[in-house]
Amino acid sequence: MYLTQEEERVCDGESGWANETCMKILVRLGELFGADKLIPIASAHVSGVSYKTLGDAPIEFLRALADDDARVKVRTTLNPQSLDSQYLMKRLPKHLLEPQLDILKQFEKMGLTQSLTCTPYYLQKPKRGSHHAWAESSAVVYANSVLGAWTNREGGPSALAAAIIGKTPDYGVHKMENRQPNVTVNVETTLRNETELGALGILLGKTLGNRIPAIQGLPKTSKDDLKQVCAALGTTGMANMFHVNTRPKSKGIEKISVDRQQIKHTIGELSTASTSKPDLVFLGCPHCSLNEVKRIAQLVEGKRVRTGTEFWVCTSCHVRQMAGDHVKRIQRAGGHVLDGVCTVVSWTEELGIKRIMTNSAKTAYYAPTLNKAEPLLAPLQDCLKAALQG
Amino acid sequence: MEGTCTAEALVSTKPISFLGGVDPADGKIIEKNHDLCGTCIKDKVLVFPHGHGSTVGSYVIYSLAKKGLAPAAIINQTADPVVVVGAIIANIPMIDQIDIKQIKTGDTVEVDGYKGVARISKQKENRSACT
Repeated sequence: MYLTQEEERVCDGESGWANETCMKILVRLGELFGADKLIPIASAHVSGVSYKTLGDAPIEFLRALADDDARVKVRTTLNPQSLDSQYLMKRLPKHLLEPQLDILKQFEKMGLTQSLTCTPYYLQKPKRGSHHAWAESSAVVYANSVLGAWTNREGGPSALAAAIIGKTPDYGVHKMENRQPNVTVNVETTLRNETELGALGILLGKTLGNRIPAIQGLPKTSKDDLKQVCAALGTTGMANMFHVNTRPKSKGIEKISVDRQQIKHTIGELSTASTSKPDLVFLGCPHCSLNEVKRIAQLVEGKRVRTGTEFWVCTSCHVRQMAGDHVKRIQRAGGHVLDGVCTVVSWTEELGIKRIMTNSAKTAYYAPTLNKAEPLLAPLQDCLKAALQG
Repeated sequence: MEGTCTAEALVSTKPISFLGGVDPADGKIIEKNHDLCGTCIKDKVLVFPHGHGSTVGSYVIYSLAKKGLAPAAIINQTADPVVVVGAIIANIPMIDQIDIKQIKTGDTVEVDGYKGVARISKQKENRSACT
């Protein structure tokens, strides 16, 4: 891999240990994937923020970087943390709070914005064709497939290293030739809602490995609903992107088809709760857009959340602030709009939550291991029916 | 990835997500329906097709290494940045582009991360019964 003289000096430790470590992460990553150089990035998005998923050991890694004056060179956003500052913070024990605050402090010291969201594109939309280093698999697939911004699926530490160096190795979907579809997926059934779209993503992730699908046969689908395909594909797969309703230029590529039976089977596999009575009904994986918060507010208007059921809508602080009146409507119905956090990365087990109902295939996939909870996967309307009285 | 080692192979035919798929407290695979569910990956040459899922997986590999629960080496069919970065920060030798079907659980495998090669130095006895 070619390094400029300046990059070589950083690699030799002339700019300190932190910069040397970050540069070496990028160089080794680039060499393994056959990159010939580093390219500048417009932004970075870092995962590994929740104390629940991060654990103790990586905090020392972050602290060592921060103490050695590592500072980000580009705008860098952060994934959700393990609790929100209003509702969950009051309900969880202090020993879970302190390490979380410590993690945020290290990131703040390094100059990352306290965005705390898996949907950084709602805060600032990346330009088409611009290069980024994003972790958070759902955001990576959304950036490449829906927004036309270019990023590989970074591991949490390599996104941070890229932020501190301001560059990323030039491989994978940073190269135009690697962004072309190499498998056609014919969806032979009409996918009726966001949950069925999520099931498609789960299924394709399992089947395709790192191949980029051209998905044919989707009905007109909103960006909010495509977000569910992105999150699910990123959960079970390693693909960075998909194409929708565009025909691949190259001929003779493999075709696979998806029928209703496969979608039903995938939802059935993910939805394993033995009863239909959830302890928690959760919407907002990935974090809700302003439109999604508004829609939920309209649907719960004048209704009441069942006693004994938690109803959470998760989003970013940014969207929550824009959604002022809608948030109040959800709260009046007895729901909680939580910002900067999500169910998957929060301490639901400690709150006694054993059954989680959600419209997100990604959450349903992770709930048994990360939340030790039984998932119920169903579209928005069914989730609201379970959450609300009458 | 740099480094060499020789250890017993633990082979999976299924991709692994380190976050949610491996318990950082004991190094056991916890993903349901996984062919290695319940098996500990500590000190093994962990052989699997590729990583998938959460990008926090890199930090899980790092945590496993700090607790002495990490695999001795990783062999993938196709490398995935999340696993690669985990191996880099945890100093675990890792190679990819290997035909993993040739390795069986219980084989003794030498991994040379510098050259990117793996060699089966001793096949497990009664190998056909153990896949």
